Amino acid sequence: MELGLVVEHYVLLASAIFAIGAIGFLMRRNVLVQLMCIELMLNSVNLTLVAFNRRHHGDMNGQMFAFFIIAVAAAELAVGLAIVLQFYRLRGSVHSDEASSLRH
Amino acid sequence: MEALSHIFPSQDYALLGVILALPLLGAIGNGIFGKRLGKEAVTLMGLSAVGVPFLFALASFCLLACHGEGEHTTTSLTWTAWHWLELQGSGAGVANFRSISLDVAFRMDPLSGVMSLVITGIGFLIHLYSSKYMEEDPGYHRFFAYLNLFIFSMLVLVLGDSLPILFVGWEGVGLCSYLLIGFWFTEEANAAAGKKAFITNRVGDFGLLVAMGLLACYVGALDWTGIEAGREALLSPVKVWPVSDSVPIAGVLPQSWAEFLNAPRYLDPATLVCLALFLGAMGKSAQLGLHVWLPDAMAGPTPVSALIHAATMVTAGVYLLCRLSPVFVLSPLAMFIVALFGALTALFAATIALVQNDIKKVLAYSTVSQLGFMFLGVGVGAFEAGFFHVLTHAFFKACLFLGAGSVIHAMHARIHDTNASQDMRNMGGLRAFMPGTFMTFVAAWAAIVGLPLTSGFWSKDEILFKAKTSFVTAPAELRGHSPTGPVAIDTFVWTEGMGTALYLIGLTAAILTAFYMTRLLLGTFFGEFKGWTITPGWTDPHAAHGHGEDDHGHDDHGHDDHAHHAHEEPGPSMQGPTPHESPWQMTLPLWILGGLAVAAGFLNAHAIHVAPLGHFLEPVFTTASKSVASHEGAEGFLWVGMAAAVLVAFGGGVGFAYWVYVQMKGVPAAEWTAKFPGVHAFLRDKWRVDEFYQETIIGAVDSLAEMCVWADKYIVDGILARFTAGLTQVLGTILRQFQTGRVQAYSAVMTLGMFGVAAFLWSPQASVREQVDERAGTYALAAAPGLGFSYRWDVDGKEGWDGEYGAAKAAHFKLDVGEERTVKVAVKNAFAVESEKVFTYVRPRPDLSRPAGSVEGPTRIVKGEDGKLRAGGGPSEPGAATGRPSPTGPDMEALKRAMERQRKEDE
Amino acid sequence: MTAGSLLFAVCAALCLAGALLVVTAKNPIRCAMGLLTTIVGIAGLFLRLSAQFLAAMQILVYAGAVVILFVFVIMLLGPAASGEAAPPQRPSISQLIAGAMVAVLGVLSLGLIGYGDSHAFELIGQSHGSVAAVGSRIFKEGLVPFELATALLLVAVVGAIAVARSKPAGHKAKPAKEENPTRRMFQGPVNRPGAAGAARENV
Repeated sequence: MELGLVVEHYVLLASAIFAIGAIGFLMRRNVLVQLMCIELMLNSVNLTLVAFNRRHHGDMNGQMFAFFIIAVAAAELAVGLAIVLQFYRLRGSVHSDEASSLRH
Repeated sequence: MEALSHIFPSQDYALLGVILALPLLGAIGNGIFGKRLGKEAVTLMGLSAVGVPFLFALASFCLLACHGEGEHTTTSLTWTAWHWLELQGSGAGVANFRSISLDVAFRMDPLSGVMSLVITGIGFLIHLYSSKYMEEDPGYHRFFAYLNLFIFSMLVLVLGDSLPILFVGWEGVGLCSYLLIGFWFTEEANAAAGKKAFITNRVGDFGLLVAMGLLACYVGALDWTGIEAGREALLSPVKVWPVSDSVPIAGVLPQSWAEFLNAPRYLDPATLVCLALFLGAMGKSAQLGLHVWLPDAMAGPTPVSALIHAATMVTAGVYLLCRLSPVFVLSPLAMFIVALFGALTALFAATIALVQNDIKKVLAYSTVSQLGFMFLGVGVGAFEAGFFHVLTHAFFKACLFLGAGSVIHAMHARIHDTNASQDMRNMGGLRAFMPGTFMTFVAAWAAIVGLPLTSGFWSKDEILFKAKTSFVTAPAELRGHSPTGPVAIDTFVWTEGMGTALYLIGLTAAILTAFYMTRLLLGTFFGEFKGWTITPGWTDPHAAHGHGEDDHGHDDHGHDDHAHHAHEEPGPSMQGPTPHESPWQMTLPLWILGGLAVAAGFLNAHAIHVAPLGHFLEPVFTTASKSVASHEGAEGFLWVGMAAAVLVAFGGGVGFAYWVYVQMKGVPAAEWTAKFPGVHAFLRDKWRVDEFYQETIIGAVDSLAEMCVWADKYIVDGILARFTAGLTQVLGTILRQFQTGRVQAYSAVMTLGMFGVAAFLWSPQASVREQVDERAGTYALAAAPGLGFSYRWDVDGKEGWDGEYGAAKAAHFKLDVGEERTVKVAVKNAFAVESEKVFTYVRPRPDLSRPAGSVEGPTRIVKGEDGKLRAGGGPSEPGAATGRPSPTGPDMEALKRAMERQRKEDE
Repeated sequence: MTAGSLLFAVCAALCLAGALLVVTAKNPIRCAMGLLTTIVGIAGLFLRLSAQFLAAMQILVYAGAVVILFVFVIMLLGPAASGEAAPPQRPSISQLIAGAMVAVLGVLSLGLIGYGDSHAFELIGQSHGSVAAVGSRIFKEGLVPFELATALLLVAVVGAIAVARSKPAGHKAKPAKEENPTRRMFQGPVNRPGAAGAARENV
């Protein structure tokens, strides 16, 4: 059976990665690992986009979109890690439960 | 006179407006600017605000009197100020009530002319009196403002041309009475007395309002001429019981009781109206039951008692009855109740006055008693006599009150306590010190006890005579219609025995009146002075403290003087100056009123046929006097009755009092008090009516208030306020647990939310937009679009879907009249999830209320000869269009057009 | 099994393994390596999908910058980076639910394998996914987003510097708070002698 010639395969894989990333984000307490899970989710979206784009010959919208997602993800990560550093300076750890100033 | 009638034509007599406006301006001026302008200015404003209207009223009165006969025949002067409002009625089921136009209009006819003279004349005298009596009072300007306002309101009351205007004045005098009784409101008792007066009046006002409503309903007019013209409508019986078809609890009662309860009872509206009006008069004129406010009203300054509670306000009830005499004579039953109440009130109050020691209280109960006489006179149909007694009573009672005020003024110079300075037991022998007051007091006393040839003699004698001999004839048998057939009520028949009974009660009251008034006179002016030991040249040792001015200040309890003199009991141990006579401003009114009390009787001395006033008042009472007749033997009783009045009432009462108090030095009175302590206490406590009311009615209201307090505390505060607050707190505590501050928790909840949204988007919604034309019977449904939706319809009324899933977004169908159909629509979305919705449509019968020929369409539906309905041309008469449209005809065209439109839409 | 299928299988396996490693590893460096693996796998899949340019970008940016950045920060934090020092609390209810739902979603996705029609790829030419094709797209229809993305990156740089900067020593001592005239206006009557009298007058 020929894998990878049908868009459903890619969508399936992407949803699996997305699910793993989502669960990881919800479960892990380390802020850095949470950020990495976000990256996972973004990557899965990228994969979906490019897979669907393969179906449209000549129309590069999907890939362009993925390109921008990469750029934005990089920017967001930069700022996010800066925040993590400040957070570390403030709390002394990167445990996400420490970030509970909004607690009642 | 000619000039006056030229300037002010009798239909547009604007002088009435001036008469009314001046006291009002006086009130406003005194009230707002009085304090700043000072006592002299207030006196000037106050006196002129009543004096000038008196002159104008006198001029108008002369106009009426002189032009009453002859070619002008001016029987009344009217003036309309402005158009007030229109009452709109629905007119369904009730005779005349379409629309009643109310104008602010005033009328001076003989009745209101005499009243306005009394009000402004005696009012002026009392204003003059008060300028000296209230001189030291810090609220001087306020007093005159209230007095002027009272004059204004009373004038509105008597000059008003319709019941609503009268009611405005009625309420106004009630308000002024409250303000003036509670004038020294810093004392709790005075304020309470004011409140009591107002609230008791209010109970009566309810009756007046009900009467107004009934009159508006049955007669259809609220002004005097209109009521008189339409009064016949009050004679047709109406069902008063049961209110709806049957009494609810009759269902559970045994048969005979239920029948008894459910039996319809009829009454004529005239009786209802008259009883309601009498309730109003009871409140204002202090008849038995609602009299409780008048004795307490003595807490106000004495001029107030003289003006309001002797001469004018309390007579408003009698005025009302006289004014509406055409209505009253329609109901002999109500008249009898009026007369009975009057007689009983006279007797009741007289018994209480026998044992009172406060001179103002004696006079107050005397007023209640005399008011009873007035109502007795009016109740038997002797409107003139009752009204004449109003007039004479105004003179002699005002004189008595003002004289009492003069006495109190003198007593208060030394005894500052209000109750002690008015107590007869501290007086005596004052005739040596206050000769002017004494002589006028004697004149008024003579009038009230019925010394022959005084005014009181003529008026009271007339009333007693009429009580025995006059009665109200019944109108023709009262017939009417009811849903079950014609109805007739028996009318109340007035027997001779009733007249005799009323006469005897009145005579007893007259005897008692003579007795207690003589007792009052003897106790105050004769004998030894018991107030203090008169030491000539005595000066008030505390006057040097600068309180000298307040020696004559009345009823200022918060004062040091009171404390200084508190330990001194009135009696031989106390020392004081000679009681002084009052200044001329106070004695002049006494002389005028005393003279009138003696001489005014000849205005209406029917027995000797000298009755200019009676003649003058004739036009007012013509309608009423048609229903009043005399028993047989009336003429013969005239002299017998007069002799009885002189000998028994006057002679017996005065002589007996003289014997008890002068010859026997009051010993028998003390003996009887000792022998019958219970009776004495009962009478002294005013028959314990106040206590009875306190226990029952006021107690009930208090309990209600307690219940409301409990409800407020536990239900409103407890449940609504605290419970809801607690609930909110609990909810808050629960919900607060969700605020963990951790991002993960928040994102978890976000995920849950997103799943919800996804679930919603997952399932398709089957909603339609419908276009309904009920007249043509076409129904078009358009389904809402969605991503990847496909539709399936079932609109043909038959079982099963019309087809398979397709792209048809709309469907339409037609219904017959009254047909009901259930239609279904199912949608399937891209995820192959189906959803279905069911609708039911009913086509209603066409609306008959729309008149034929309306814009809806050219279709006319007419009834053909065969009785069937068909669409036809030509004008159709209203009411002929009915029923279902025919299946053939224009309707089909409209439907076909609709179907075409649908088909186009679908493509 | 063609080469393409093999590529797909290997890259998919890499992705999943990397993802699982990210989620489960205790050591953050291991997580970063897992992320790297996933990225490389995705890049391989991009190649399969004829997105050459994008695959290059993926490696350059993600593997070459993002992961490096992660590693930098982990190294900067040192031993604190593991962050599990605090006793691991039990996941809250909502977390469990959300996790369960996401897992269900994943399982459903697996269950949908073979459901419905497959949408196969067509044959395409070389130009699909080339630098020229994507580039022309970006610089024609997507010019404005491109420029905005540039600005965004600039802002991100500035922002990251601003946020991550530790306060220089000079700023530690702040001058004494100067008297704010506005603050004085709103002080209660305690400080103003006439206010109490004024309050009484207002009765």
